[in-house]
Amino acid sequence: MTLIALPLIPLVAAGLIALAGRRAWMETVHALAAVGTLGAGLAVAAQALRSGPVVALDGFLRADALSALMIAVIALLGGVAALYAPGYARLAFDAAHAGRARTLFGLFHLFIFTMLLAVCTDNLGVMWVAIEGTTLATVFLVNLHGTRTSLEAAYKYLILSSVGIALAFIGTVLMYYAGAAQAGEIAVNWTSLRAAASSLNPQVVRLAFVFILVGYGTKMGLAPMHTWLPDAHSEAPAPISALMSGVLLNVGLYAVMRFRAVADVAAGPDFAGRLLMGLGLLSLTVASVFLLRQRNYKRMLAYSSVEHMGVICLGLGFGGPWGVLGALLHAINHALSKSLLFILSGNILLKYRTTEIHRVRGLLHVSPLTGGAFLAGTLALIGLPPFGLFISEFIILRAGLEGDAVWVAAGGIVLLVIAFAGVLRSVNQMLYGRPDEDLPRGDALTWSLAPLTVNFALLLVTGLTLPPALLGALNQVLQVIG
Amino acid sequence: MFPSLANLLSFIALGAAILLIVRGSLAGQVRVFAFQSFVLALLAAAVAAFAGSVELFGVALVLMTIKGVVIPRVLHRAVTNIGLHRAAAPYLSPPAALTVCGGLVVAAFYVMGPVAASNPLPTAGAIPLAFAGVLVGFFVTVNRRRALTQILGFLMLENGIFLLALLCTYGVPFIVEMGVFLDVLVAVLILEVFTYRIKENFDSIDVGEMETLRG
Repeated sequence: MTLIALPLIPLVAAGLIALAGRRAWMETVHALAAVGTLGAGLAVAAQALRSGPVVALDGFLRADALSALMIAVIALLGGVAALYAPGYARLAFDAAHAGRARTLFGLFHLFIFTMLLAVCTDNLGVMWVAIEGTTLATVFLVNLHGTRTSLEAAYKYLILSSVGIALAFIGTVLMYYAGAAQAGEIAVNWTSLRAAASSLNPQVVRLAFVFILVGYGTKMGLAPMHTWLPDAHSEAPAPISALMSGVLLNVGLYAVMRFRAVADVAAGPDFAGRLLMGLGLLSLTVASVFLLRQRNYKRMLAYSSVEHMGVICLGLGFGGPWGVLGALLHAINHALSKSLLFILSGNILLKYRTTEIHRVRGLLHVSPLTGGAFLAGTLALIGLPPFGLFISEFIILRAGLEGDAVWVAAGGIVLLVIAFAGVLRSVNQMLYGRPDEDLPRGDALTWSLAPLTVNFALLLVTGLTLPPALLGALNQVLQVIG
Repeated sequence: MFPSLANLLSFIALGAAILLIVRGSLAGQVRVFAFQSFVLALLAAAVAAFAGSVELFGVALVLMTIKGVVIPRVLHRAVTNIGLHRAAAPYLSPPAALTVCGGLVVAAFYVMGPVAASNPLPTAGAIPLAFAGVLVGFFVTVNRRRALTQILGFLMLENGIFLLALLCTYGVPFIVEMGVFLDVLVAVLILEVFTYRIKENFDSIDVGEMETLRG
């Protein structure tokens, strides 16, 4: 029952917000829906982890341990971004642009709905429809500030993502064909495909996986299909950037992990592993080059997402229980830290009214709360202890060094150091220095930042102690897709 | 009889995709797309009759309505409102583009040949043709500067995938097919809004003008 309610809450909320008369009503529906989605999401995730897959509507909706992990991330970070959104909208869109607030709140929940549907369905075709839906729901959000650059970003985002994900549909059709040819008339359900995996035609599965990886890899922002990502993530309003970079990329990753589990059985583990390592290393290379000479802090965060998606691909490519476990943990850690930093970037933008690094000076002095949190978040992002990304990067790289991919792991370490230096240099420029005299002191929004303590707390938990509950959950995911 | 019909109609659909490269007028390009959609709907109906599938017949009807009538109308409206009738020069001239297409068709047979050979369905012979249509649509999308022609390339790509699924497995399940149609329709409506906004902001719908975002 809760599983049916989960995607329905944001869908109904989107409809109500479209109809709501006054801004106060919109904000009320928005807040209620965010809290409702969070509660339902955590309930479904807990149920799936405690007592096995939750199924509804004759198996159309199905949440196993992997879905549970994704639902928890979507619901939690969706809630954090939702609580920041009203304050941001009030400062960014004045009375003359009140319509933009409606677009923001309405599409916000439609966006959450598409992501939840993508990770809650067993039908791989419906998953594709939902993931294409995430692009359609967010494209007007990318263009929400109405500038020429945001229009350019939104158009490129729509065309590139749609064409990319069309390729994933070819892969889905080929997988469906491989399954149908083998088991007679089977639906495009992941569970039946996975059960029949060992008897699928390996040649067809290999071809299918290449299309899947290029297609969903586009949504994940893997190089060389990443070109839309820095544009779209930097032009979108901060709460949306936080979800696109922190959560939506993981939904693309989710699709890749599902198909990888089938391909590993059908075509041998080396095939998918090599492709993932190749794309991962390429993404790391491209991202670290662009991070070294970045002039725009939102683009810097976006390129860092390309970097971390590359790291996750390395983990999946190295394989084995540690490689996959590291990749899952890194996906969670990256989601926590990146959504945090993008929300803070909203505060910086509202204060300085620019996204250029060299025009943001003395952030620590001007907005101590934002600046301090931005510094701590950056340290987490570049993989310093005591935060979780240090642990997950360590697990992934160790899996590579102890396996037979020593050189790939070594290359990954070098590239991570380059990215580390690039990000730290840029953030240093922003934090210190002499701010403009006439810039008023204080943080653009303060109480809206309160939910970020959840991100920090969880990053410390994954960094200092890996609690048995989390390890147990990750082990269950390994059982599903390992 | 049925396999040759599938081959013939797939061949015509590929021909339409290639025709998009040489057509100069935007309205003509939209008509080529509508024509291709009708051919696909016809083939889907034929497969439905052959396989005795009522659902597939429904898919053929929806395909004809959405891709054969509704989307072409939307695109015609956009062409009229923008007041542009000639397609902008592509990156590659038509002769060069046709040569590339020839290469793509060969590549399609090379990649999809084994899949077609392993497929027992009577429609399997035409699978490489469908894949060639996908590749040509992809190429049109990257070769054209103007937003509207890029949209047409994307739609041709979508049509190619529909054909591929039809030939490989007699289509994907009904609910998925409907979801895909919905996505494509919404995507086209959004893209229509964008062509207006691009025209307003950049005073042209030449996407080559949009190159502020770098690095």
